[in-house]
Amino acid sequence: MANEVFMPKLSSTMETGTLLQWFKEEGDSVETGEPLFEIMTDKINIEVEAYDDGVLLKKYYDIDDEIPVNQIIAYVGQQDEVVPDTSPGISGNEINEEKELNESAVEETSVRIEEQSKVEPSEDVRATPAARRVARSNNILLNEISGSGPKGRVHVKDVNQVLIQRNDSRATPLAKKVSKAHQVSLESINGSGVNGKVMKNDVAKSIDRVSRVDPSIQTSQKRKLSGMRKVIADRMQESVNTAPHVTLTSEIDMKKVQELRKNLMKVVESHTGNRLSYTDIIIKATGEALSRHPAMNASLNDDEIVLNNSINVGLAVSLDEGLIVPVIQDVPSKGLREINDHAKRLAKNARNQKLQEDQLKGATFTVSNLGMYAVDAFTPIINLPQTAILGTGRIQEKPVVVDQEIEVRPTMAVSLSFDHRAIDGAPAAAFLTELKQILENPYELLA
Amino acid sequence: MTAPYDITVIGGGPGGYVAALHAAEQGKRVALIEAKYLGGTCLNWGCIPSKTYLKQAEIIEMIKKARDWGIETGEIKLSIDKMKRRKDEVIHRLRNGISYLLKQGKIDVFYGYGTIEKNHSITIKTKDDVHTIESEKIIVATGSRPVVPSIQGLEQVDYDTSDTIFDMKNIPSSIAIIGGGVIGVEFACIFASLGTEVTVVEMADRIIPNEDADASKTLTKELENKGVSILTGSTVKKVTKVTKENNYSILSVMDGNGETHSLEAQSLLVSVGRKPNTSAVEKLELEKNGPFIHVNEKMETTNKGIYAIGDVIGGYQLAHVASAEGIVAANNAMNVDDQFDDKVIPRCIYTLPEVASVGMTEEEVVNAGISYRTERFELHANGKALSAGEAVGFSKIICDETYGEILGVTLVGAHVTELISEASAFMSLEGTIEEAAKMIHPHPTVSEAFQENASSLFQKLKNQGVLV
Repeated sequence: MANEVFMPKLSSTMETGTLLQWFKEEGDSVETGEPLFEIMTDKINIEVEAYDDGVLLKKYYDIDDEIPVNQIIAYVGQQDEVVPDTSPGISGNEINEEKELNESAVEETSVRIEEQSKVEPSEDVRATPAARRVARSNNILLNEISGSGPKGRVHVKDVNQVLIQRNDSRATPLAKKVSKAHQVSLESINGSGVNGKVMKNDVAKSIDRVSRVDPSIQTSQKRKLSGMRKVIADRMQESVNTAPHVTLTSEIDMKKVQELRKNLMKVVESHTGNRLSYTDIIIKATGEALSRHPAMNASLNDDEIVLNNSINVGLAVSLDEGLIVPVIQDVPSKGLREINDHAKRLAKNARNQKLQEDQLKGATFTVSNLGMYAVDAFTPIINLPQTAILGTGRIQEKPVVVDQEIEVRPTMAVSLSFDHRAIDGAPAAAFLTELKQILENPYELLA
Repeated sequence: MTAPYDITVIGGGPGGYVAALHAAEQGKRVALIEAKYLGGTCLNWGCIPSKTYLKQAEIIEMIKKARDWGIETGEIKLSIDKMKRRKDEVIHRLRNGISYLLKQGKIDVFYGYGTIEKNHSITIKTKDDVHTIESEKIIVATGSRPVVPSIQGLEQVDYDTSDTIFDMKNIPSSIAIIGGGVIGVEFACIFASLGTEVTVVEMADRIIPNEDADASKTLTKELENKGVSILTGSTVKKVTKVTKENNYSILSVMDGNGETHSLEAQSLLVSVGRKPNTSAVEKLELEKNGPFIHVNEKMETTNKGIYAIGDVIGGYQLAHVASAEGIVAANNAMNVDDQFDDKVIPRCIYTLPEVASVGMTEEEVVNAGISYRTERFELHANGKALSAGEAVGFSKIICDETYGEILGVTLVGAHVTELISEASAFMSLEGTIEEAAKMIHPHPTVSEAFQENASSLFQKLKNQGVLV
């Protein structure tokens, strides 16, 4: 009988997952270990592999559907098997045996998630259980394989790739060498030789095709817009399309922030073990400014502007594969030491993909700091439904007129993008001015 | 009016008859029009008769060589009549073989000159009859004939071309060969073995100029050892008939420095190249490629339904190329998509020693700007070649630096025309220098030279770490 495919529970707090993409269509044959679909919970995304061989009989959900945990998403079984027209609901409402099977599958899924973050002493390679099994049965060492998953996690398809390259006599020796040197998969190339044998020219054409996308860019890799990249792409597009952005910029004298930071450095470091950063101070100042300008801390949902009670500041963290925004909750209630502690931990977890779901939720305002680069002002894009986003640039020594005298001061450009649907220019400007004042007199933060 | 044919091939040479047979095998109604003899130039005035004479030349050389090895024979007596008879027997036998195959394929063979009319019907003109046949598709395989350059006085003397020389009545005491290409050097070998005083006049700076320079060098030296005079960078300006018995001619030869020398010879062979026979298509307005018929890689001419193959389209002008093109043309004429692949075309010269090559020459690789490595392995280090007293020659492999792709191979030595197909197989199947180096070869054979050559080249590339 047909096997259920359901939304896996990937963490203890996970309730729903969003379907990002299907790798298979109805009627496609599916092998155990092949990626079947990709889901995302907030910003953690994962490819879910098939647990059974067979044919994908029915898909009940489409891309972007939010699906409860354990909800039956699809069926895999034998061709022509009859399955319900609509999702029968939560998996496990059938026979007990079936349920056990599914639970073990859930377990396996969560084991896999843990494996992402944990290094196995015996075999320190990230790999899915299915990939491990296939590799083991073919005597392939996992560390010989470069994994295509997040953080180099090895999937079954990666193992298969190696198998194909190792055993495939479908390519000529020369074609193999060329494909290896250019890291082109022979699997995807149609051979022009006898019985489809891949010849050198076929590989050359394939390399050509890839680099023809833009002749001025020498690319040898094509990446599908998927996972985190797709989420970012969709959200940014949505934000730009729906929210009329206005960006205000200002320059802030950071002399006193510099002093403050210097003075508090030791104190904070002795408590948290981390150096106090400008970002920490900016977050604290932003929280303070927001508390005085609640309209900037609002969310625009449909036709309602909701003034949020808590001030939760999201901090944009750059990852290899994209961007993630962990959240520091209730900033005004936290001191710099606490903010420093939280911010550092969140950033670290973000980079290790260890963030909990609730650490990514509930931001009411976002700070994006590009100050580590040679960037002054820029036009940040609002993270909807928030009202505004603050972009901070580098701190640079600049001549500034103070009391009719030219002085060299560390200055920082800030850029505030706001959603003109939710707020107008004057209140936004007032907020930015408030923030400037706080940062130029940061000791009031201690008051 | 004859019933319409699916495919008609004009020309019964190695291109035409192979195309006809291939189409007939697929159940097509095929006609073949041949003006003279089945087998074309290759069988009647080219590859085959020259090989019978060259085998005789080889035997004469072996007998002479054997004297030093303690095998004494009496004086060598040559009978040109018997030699010619043997040549004719070989030709007849092969010609009958083709005739038999065509009959088996139920191919109608018409002897006469075929001409394609504007409406694509074909007029066949025989000695005493003219008739027309209709055919859906036509393959033009009319071949080529020797070029006779315009040299002052040439028309006044009795000269030979490769079309006439095989039927010579006597062995000339001396011969001047104009043109040091493939045909010229093969005849130089034949006549040298027959005791004729041979002079080769070549316009380029070396004989066999299309082959690797190393091959030219070795062959030049070997021909000179046989007593052949080779004048390179030289052109024949004038030919004068000498009123003397036995039809002597005097050639005025200008050398590379612009100085003119006189050269007296009893016979004169003109072998400077071949031009296409295009009379079959002269009523059509086909696009030309110089004097040759232009075709695409499917062997299609610019007239739909008319294909052309072999010498008439130029290019390599080799029998095996014509045959391969014939198959491609026949396939496309039968609506089976096929393209001619010119990647691996072996070229053979049956001199003593032989020269065989495939792929690019070193000069071509240099001009193409490919980073390459090359090395030679000499046959005097090969056990089998030494034992046979045939230690002159070498194997030369040119491979690309990155992948060890075999770009070209030139072999010089006895029997190398039989050995070149190993190199062709590697190239065709895209084996690299690594596979060639590792494949086991039987010992003792001349083929080991190829492996030794590959192995040494591979080791060096590997040690230098340039290979991927």
